[in-house]
Amino acid sequence: MRNYIIKRLIYSIIIAWGILTITFVLLRVGPSSPVDRYILNIAARGQDVDSVKQAIEARYGLNKPITEQYFSYMGNLLQGNWGWSFSASMPVLELIGSHWIYSFQLILLATIFAIILGVGLGMLAAVKQNTKFDYAASIFSFIGISIPGFWLGLMLILVFAVYLGFFKTYYDTNYPIWSLENLKQLILPVMALGIGELAGYVRYTRSAMLDNLHKEFVTTARAKGLPESTVIGKHVLRNAILPLVTIIMFDLGSVVFGGAYLTEIVFGIPGLGQVSFNAIFADDYAVVVAVTLIGTFLVLFINLATDLFYTYLDPRIRYE
Amino acid sequence: MSEEKIVSRGGIKLPVHVNRRLVRYYWDRLKKNKLSLAGLGFIVFLALLGTFGPFFAADPQHVDFDVKNLPPLGFSTQESIYDIKTSTFTTTVHPGRSDHPLGTDSKGRDMLAMLISGSRISLLVGLLATGIAISLGTFLGVLSAYLGGWADNLLMRFTDVMMTFPFFLLLVLIVFIFGPSLTIIVIVIGLTGWTGAARLIRSEALSLRTRDFITASKALGASDNRIIFNHLIPNVASLIIVMATLSIPGVIMAEAALSFIGMGDPMSTSWGTILNTGQHTLDTAWWVAVEPGIMLFLTVLSFNFFGDGLRDAFDPKATV
Repeated sequence: MRNYIIKRLIYSIIIAWGILTITFVLLRVGPSSPVDRYILNIAARGQDVDSVKQAIEARYGLNKPITEQYFSYMGNLLQGNWGWSFSASMPVLELIGSHWIYSFQLILLATIFAIILGVGLGMLAAVKQNTKFDYAASIFSFIGISIPGFWLGLMLILVFAVYLGFFKTYYDTNYPIWSLENLKQLILPVMALGIGELAGYVRYTRSAMLDNLHKEFVTTARAKGLPESTVIGKHVLRNAILPLVTIIMFDLGSVVFGGAYLTEIVFGIPGLGQVSFNAIFADDYAVVVAVTLIGTFLVLFINLATDLFYTYLDPRIRYE
Repeated sequence: MSEEKIVSRGGIKLPVHVNRRLVRYYWDRLKKNKLSLAGLGFIVFLALLGTFGPFFAADPQHVDFDVKNLPPLGFSTQESIYDIKTSTFTTTVHPGRSDHPLGTDSKGRDMLAMLISGSRISLLVGLLATGIAISLGTFLGVLSAYLGGWADNLLMRFTDVMMTFPFFLLLVLIVFIFGPSLTIIVIVIGLTGWTGAARLIRSEALSLRTRDFITASKALGASDNRIIFNHLIPNVASLIIVMATLSIPGVIMAEAALSFIGMGDPMSTSWGTILNTGQHTLDTAWWVAVEPGIMLFLTVLSFNFFGDGLRDAFDPKATV
């Protein structure tokens, strides 16, 4: 078991290194330079563009060959120095430190919302198989999967903020993160992000429940005279949970990287998605590489945690 | 209806069965799924609209500020003007006009023409990028399974890196570096979207490889090429078709999301581009954000329904 974890960790580091290298090379071989954004200001002040550009590049070591830049970046990273953000004029770690909580909160709330509702609806649909409720749940999940999250976000803003006036049309950063006002303004973003996830969970829960609903141990449980709620909630659900855990954990990875970014942009939430997009447009490579790296490690960690969690859920599973 | 043709292979005349009955069988199974048929119907409609529509519709990029923010037919907007000289409010009602049946955006561009142009682009990007991704995935998957050993290991580790890579961030990054054009978008989505296909095809090919009919053809002296192209690929064909159908919606959504955040091809009008304009006029012209989203949603839903029906039709174990 210990060897397995060590092997997986080494493997994760190699994958993360590969992704870091690809991102770094993509950003640094591109035609634009982080200095470009200063140039308009420099020209407006009547200074000589080329000499100032060279001075800035020399200061941040951008004029050195790309391999040298890469190795010095890697060296710094291994010493815990994540670099300097050109666009925000602060250390990358500080920039990420002040924004990660917004993304974390959004993803956490959306996932809780999706798991509770999705697993609940899926269980009900399985128990009431082939009834009107089951069909409605199945149509709902098809709709939820097919609706683009960012458009759903726009529609929620249109109906609940613009026309009904229940919410503000912008995200107010003045509230403390866990205050009631802040949670209230997260209702729409959480729905926009969560409904897509939820729809998937309904389908997977339903089919995982159906796989177990007609097994012999269920008949035994019923024959023992157990109440239906115990049969479904304990005997069937516990056996259906293993495939569900995989889906939910893997889905979390795509939420971190896809849905949450777009949701942040639609609702103007200043999380890491917003930060990394601004950084891409500003050619602020240190920030982009750092955010990509953190996200990658998160996904790799979630995958490892899922595999280890299995051994707890299903003690028959052993890793070599 | 099995037709027998005589085909000459290497000087030996062989009868070849052109099995039309199989196609007929699948079609009959597919026909029973009404939602799947409806999906196919909408896809065909969209294909016709995208192919022939632009020849009849107005120029989607034609700007005319005289007709800006016109509502769709059957709706009307009110404009209140306060006259400072006479201190009176005059309210003018702008009803929808039949020359712009779906309304116009904030620059007076015709919504119908833009939606038609968008359906062409969505389908084009969806089909081309999926084509690239699935061909590449099939090729790499079969190759990996067939070669085995260190080549298989290397290919699969590379697949792992690509799978962990934050897909949308990579997309934005590459489009930012190489400039937003449809060609770049198609190539990037195609070159990054093959991982799922490669894994699935590989595992399928691995299980096929040990089956008796492959062993038999090897024993008969069939070449590697023959085994791959005449035995392996036809046996995963249904899997490939289903996978392709179900990956098109993801590609269409990715293109829309990209255009929505302002990284679409500026020379063409896609649904995402319209949404990008529409998000700023939610309070004055809701239809600009609503209409392209509905098209996008219906398209994705249709491909999901159709793909789901195809999967059931191809699966001999499924009851339809």
